[in-house]
Amino acid sequence: CPPASFLVDEVSSIIKEAIEGAIGGNAYQHSKVNQWTTSVVEQTLSQLTRLGKPFKYIVTCVIMQKNGAGLHTASSCFWDNSSDGTCTVRWENKTMYCIVSAFGLAL
Amino acid sequence: MAEQPFPGTALLAQVLAADNTETPPLRTTRRGSQPPARGTEDGKPPPLLSRRNSILSRRSSFGMVPGSRRPSWMLHRRVSFTGLPIFQPILKTRLENTYRIGPDKGCKFDAERVRRVLEGTLACALGTAAYSPQGSAPLAQSLTELLQNQAKEVVPPRYKLVCHVVLGQQGQQSLMVASRGLWDPETDNFASATFSNASLFAVATVYGVYFE
Repeated sequence: CPPASFLVDEVSSIIKEAIEGAIGGNAYQHSKVNQWTTSVVEQTLSQLTRLGKPFKYIVTCVIMQKNGAGLHTASSCFWDNSSDGTCTVRWENKTMYCIVSAFGLAL
Repeated sequence: MAEQPFPGTALLAQVLAADNTETPPLRTTRRGSQPPARGTEDGKPPPLLSRRNSILSRRSSFGMVPGSRRPSWMLHRRVSFTGLPIFQPILKTRLENTYRIGPDKGCKFDAERVRRVLEGTLACALGTAAYSPQGSAPLAQSLTELLQNQAKEVVPPRYKLVCHVVLGQQGQQSLMVASRGLWDPETDNFASATFSNASLFAVATVYGVYFE
């Protein structure tokens, strides 16, 4: 069977749906952050597996309260450029930032 | 990934087969008599030129005029029927099956070792750094590359690495970093380390995924 490829648009829409579903209309609450990150990551991962492609996935989620502080994320990967890929989605509302990265590594 | 025969060579084979059967042996003996060093040189001594004329005149379809100087590639390389050179096709290497489905015993991703490497590198690189909006973006990028290179040295072969760094300004905010992976728990693992000083904080994570 032909080797599958990591489609960035498809993955990006999956991530956006997961974020909206988990923290869509909410304001930052320290007590709930744990639960939110878990649900964003789990939702993203389960949707990715539903694609049925021969990939191993890693999903990272960073949620930060908006307080005037700056934030940078970076990632570098040692992999096969032709088959593996990554997708990062930045989302924000009035009280918090959310950055989700999904990495797909072909088997 | 299959190797396709270069279309030009098939055509040349047909042309050579259709041509006078006497010429191939003549060509090979002529090549043998020429010294090996004359790969691409242009100057030809006159006696050799007369010998070459006798073959080339037979191949009038090649459009050559007897007595004229040939460019070196026409005499030493394969030539298509149009008179243009055919370059040898670049063969793609096909790797053989290694029949391995898992890492060797004792050769797994050592999370503890990688974590120590990460902590050491973060402390070294960010010990005296201060957060600045312009400078921290390239700092984060260079940090990931540095961490990845360090991790590559301690990680066993056949492992793909993903290195993720979050660098932020130290303020009165709270932050949560979470991640989840879909992988083979027996072979794959991750390691993470954090660093903070008065003006910034950094969270570094390295995921190691076995590639079969």
